[in-house]
Amino acid sequence: MDTILFLAFTEPDGSLAKPALEALGAAVAMGAPLTVGLIGASVAGAASQVANCGAARFLGVSGEEFGQSRYATDAAAAEAVARAAGATIVIAAASVRANRALPGVAHRLNGAIDTHVTAVAGGPSIARWYYRQRMEAAVGRTARPWFILLETGCHAAWSGSPGEVSVESVAVALPPLRTIVTGVRSPQSGVETIRPDARLLFVAGAGWTKKQADGQPHPREATELILGFLNKTHASLGGSKSLVDLSGEGEAVLPFMTHLNQIGQTGASPRHPKGLSTCCHGEEPHVVGWRFVTERRAVNLDPNCGWARGKADVVYVADAFEVMRKVNALLG
Amino acid sequence: MSERPVLDVDIVCVGFGPAMGGFLTTLARSGLSPNVICYERADDIAFGVSGAVTRARGIRASFPDLDPAEIPMAARVAHEKVLYLLDPVGASRRSAGLRLADRATGAFRVASHHAVELPYTPPFLRKDGGFLFSIGQFNQWVGSQLMGSGAVQIWPGTPVLAPLMEGGSVAGVELADMDVRAALTVVGDGPVGAVGRRLDERFGLPPGHHPREWAVGAKMVIDLGEHVDLAPGTVFHTFGYPEPEIFGFFYVHPERVASVGIFVPSWFRCPVRTSYRYLQHYIQHPYLWRYLEGGTLRSWGAKSLAESGRRGEPYLAGDGWARIGEGSGSTNVLTGSGVDEAWTTGMQLAEGVAELMQEGRPFTRQNLEDTYVRRRRASWVEAEGCIAERARDGFNRGVISGLTGMALAGMTKGRFTIGGEPKPVPPVAEYYRGRIPAAEVRRIQQECAAKGTGAHDALMERAGWPPIACDGKLLMSLQDALLVGGKVQAAPGYPDHVRFTDSAACEDCNARTCVEICSGQAITPGTGAVPAFDREKCVYCGACLWNCPAGAICFEAGAGGLHSAEN
Amino acid sequence: MSYHIVVCGGIVPDPLQTLEPVMGPAGPSLKNETMLPAVLDPWAAHALFEAANLARNFAGSKVWLVSLGPKAKLQQVMMTVAQKAPFELVPIDGPAGAFTDPVGVSGALAAAIESIAGLDRQRLLVFGGWESATRGAGATMQMVGERLGIVDQFQGVDSLAPREDGSFEILERIEGGRHQVSVCAGPPALVGWATGSLPEPRNNPQVGMLNMRTIMPALQKARAANVAGSAPQFLSVTLPRQQRSTKVVKDLSTDEIAREIVAWIKED
Repeated sequence: MDTILFLAFTEPDGSLAKPALEALGAAVAMGAPLTVGLIGASVAGAASQVANCGAARFLGVSGEEFGQSRYATDAAAAEAVARAAGATIVIAAASVRANRALPGVAHRLNGAIDTHVTAVAGGPSIARWYYRQRMEAAVGRTARPWFILLETGCHAAWSGSPGEVSVESVAVALPPLRTIVTGVRSPQSGVETIRPDARLLFVAGAGWTKKQADGQPHPREATELILGFLNKTHASLGGSKSLVDLSGEGEAVLPFMTHLNQIGQTGASPRHPKGLSTCCHGEEPHVVGWRFVTERRAVNLDPNCGWARGKADVVYVADAFEVMRKVNALLG
Repeated sequence: MSERPVLDVDIVCVGFGPAMGGFLTTLARSGLSPNVICYERADDIAFGVSGAVTRARGIRASFPDLDPAEIPMAARVAHEKVLYLLDPVGASRRSAGLRLADRATGAFRVASHHAVELPYTPPFLRKDGGFLFSIGQFNQWVGSQLMGSGAVQIWPGTPVLAPLMEGGSVAGVELADMDVRAALTVVGDGPVGAVGRRLDERFGLPPGHHPREWAVGAKMVIDLGEHVDLAPGTVFHTFGYPEPEIFGFFYVHPERVASVGIFVPSWFRCPVRTSYRYLQHYIQHPYLWRYLEGGTLRSWGAKSLAESGRRGEPYLAGDGWARIGEGSGSTNVLTGSGVDEAWTTGMQLAEGVAELMQEGRPFTRQNLEDTYVRRRRASWVEAEGCIAERARDGFNRGVISGLTGMALAGMTKGRFTIGGEPKPVPPVAEYYRGRIPAAEVRRIQQECAAKGTGAHDALMERAGWPPIACDGKLLMSLQDALLVGGKVQAAPGYPDHVRFTDSAACEDCNARTCVEICSGQAITPGTGAVPAFDREKCVYCGACLWNCPAGAICFEAGAGGLHSAEN
Repeated sequence: MSYHIVVCGGIVPDPLQTLEPVMGPAGPSLKNETMLPAVLDPWAAHALFEAANLARNFAGSKVWLVSLGPKAKLQQVMMTVAQKAPFELVPIDGPAGAFTDPVGVSGALAAAIESIAGLDRQRLLVFGGWESATRGAGATMQMVGERLGIVDQFQGVDSLAPREDGSFEILERIEGGRHQVSVCAGPPALVGWATGSLPEPRNNPQVGMLNMRTIMPALQKARAANVAGSAPQFLSVTLPRQQRSTKVVKDLSTDEIAREIVAWIKED
């Protein structure tokens, strides 16, 4: 029978974030003997937070060097915890930190790994995507330990009352550290990019930069309308590949768009409750970025727009410049 | 002026299609090892378009043991039919004579599913023992073998802008950022290729030759429904519908895949002639629809065809250059065949080149005439091209004259046919006289222009063509079709390759055929007199070039275009 | 300062193609896989452009491209890729599809890197994409790094800026659309690129010709890879059925549309 290790990196305040609790929810739902493994500058708070999840053991690696997201320290700590737990299945949230470190750990333990997992089922088996969210597979494995990195928003978060637990401290042998994390940098433009916590994703399509009815492009007004809308709604800003490529080429189009805004293709596939797409003519590789947005509406002059038809709930056949002018006015 | 970088090779080739496949395959086997480099405009060597059913005489000469199973989508021709399609909709423009003939088919009960199966396939149309291909897959297979041999380099995504002229000679080619100098420049860039057209501008055409007959070929690749049991290798040649002037084809590939397409010729004197819309009506003809209903569109594409064939033949060779393939007038409009002819001209040039190299003779016009052109003149390509030369002239008088002329030419080996001279395409209002009042035509045109679209859909529907009931699977808008399988991509950072060079001519133009004919809806009415062009939608069919009555369109070579390897 | 940069980059179906899975006795594959035109994986392509840029700025640097795929397809793709940037190809003949496990693929890649003659580990930067357009897993590069003993690894990288002391500053994408900034003491390091900041270079036939001198002989000598690893069992592979019934609103005024959108945004 499989045994489960729920592995999590703690937040700077020592707690576990919602994605970690979702992964814990999935781990608990498997109904197998469970160990909790925590890594961070401090793990006591997190252990207390999930004390009543039913785990038999709580393992921890803590210390200043583990407070930073860094491959060498994270991989060493996760390896030590996984070895100490001896579990056959390791479940973690697919955070940037886990995604970076755990594939290497799976290799060190001669195991296997699946990332970007969207469901864990009995068997056990998992659901995950291939070819940029264009194919969904159900996958089982005989290799153990099997690392499963669960995407956010795919399982109900574990919830329970905090409690007291004793955390077994796991010793870690660190290699010489050659990398120092010096900080975090936000995009210079100050414009929103893709923020998972936003309720709304605004998708700007390449049409914003094209010639309008008067035969002229209007990048300045496009910029005002888009930024105005973002300021009022605090929406995430996504763009189609062609639009961010244009910006990358230094063309005077929408200079605040960078590759961080790209969705679909080589960009993100964000999860937001709502998405509003404007001036897009999407096709399958681009629209995959739209796949995990729950409610979708689009404004486009072409009712057959590939981004909208069959993919959006509502498509408004209208000029996005005019509509967004009025939307912004209504938003005040 | 800054010095452009220069690359020196022995032979530089322009365009990778069947002709260049034949040339390079033959040359690679010659035992000689010239330094050969081939540039292809499209982003991949598999992005060609053709309704390729072929007797494959030249191709089989190169590959005597060719097993079609080696090439995806290839099959042996197994079963051929010629169909005359009646008009089940009642919207096509049929002459009185044709209407009479249509009624006769009803009276004699020879029609089934609104089509008459001809009792036999005329010998000149038959493709006995031949193959049907996806030209994309065939090109990919040939290219892969060539590159695997190490004898040849084929570079896709590299448009050739122009020949490097030095006096009366060609000394190589001009790319965007460099020149390539070569002792021999082989031009196989197709009917609308930039290099071929530059040579025509420079040297003119031989007396009496003129490239005035054209067609747009448009095809769909369709996954047939489970209920269809047509054998791979089944071929239908059709005529009569959606308009009497429009010929069509239906080929069945292995694994229940069909290629279905039409040709919209220049002598179809309708200024509203979008091939995609006509193709949608074509596939819904009851004879074909019983096989296609329930099918799924995999891909679509379009290309120009040089229908003048032998009569549009340019000079085939000059000092330092030679031309092969469709752009050299090899397409045979009587037999409806171009791929094999193109391949064979490539073989002939390679044999000639090898002969010259072995004898250490330079690639002068005379030497190429003595070797390549001599071979070509002595071959079946020439003989059959001559038979076909005037075969379709009768279509300039009408469809019945045209069909009769074709049959006569085919049966008498070109000794007899029916003549006729091309006439200009009439203004839109004149074309619809008696069907739509001129004022209404103008109103529809203005309304569509205000919406930034062509007027063909609105005018066709006003003239009685039923709207297309889009199902999102096989029947869909042109833009959706372009996203399904034949998608278009244009790399950023390049200039527009289609330009309108004479705004006064655009002012005077009523027909705007460039907008109506555009296979990708890349040319739209624009805000002034000059149409707008969106290079991200251009499929490089080149139809705008020969549909502009004023010759006011500059169509350059550019990278990008259709990304489909199945057409 | 100069670098030896090894870029790991597989080939993937041209992203503009329609893909469909088929299940066979040996597991899933793509329908018509051999017919589909292929391109260099887009993330790996960014890695290659960044590598070329770095090599151009630091004289004496060299770029290798290690690529796993069916030999004929690799050859075809290289005719385009070779025009983009100068590199030496290290081809591995093997499957390029999504359904090969990263464990086996990383083994083949690491073995190929180890076989590169004259590679200086003290100057080594291993580049690749942080994801791929096939598996989309973001796991292979880490395993390549582990196999090569590299523990300075970065994923989702948009910038690598060398500093005068031989160290370099790295920007990695993190949650919230931000970058984590790190300073690494120097090579050896492994970098999984996001998109970087460089546009795709235009095809340069001269670069292509220079590359071909080594690419063609390398392809002819390419050895078949052993990518067997802890292969997963595929229970099913399907296309998502996410066709929505779209309401097309054609006849509302822009005022009414704006009001509907605002009301919808404000709904909980």
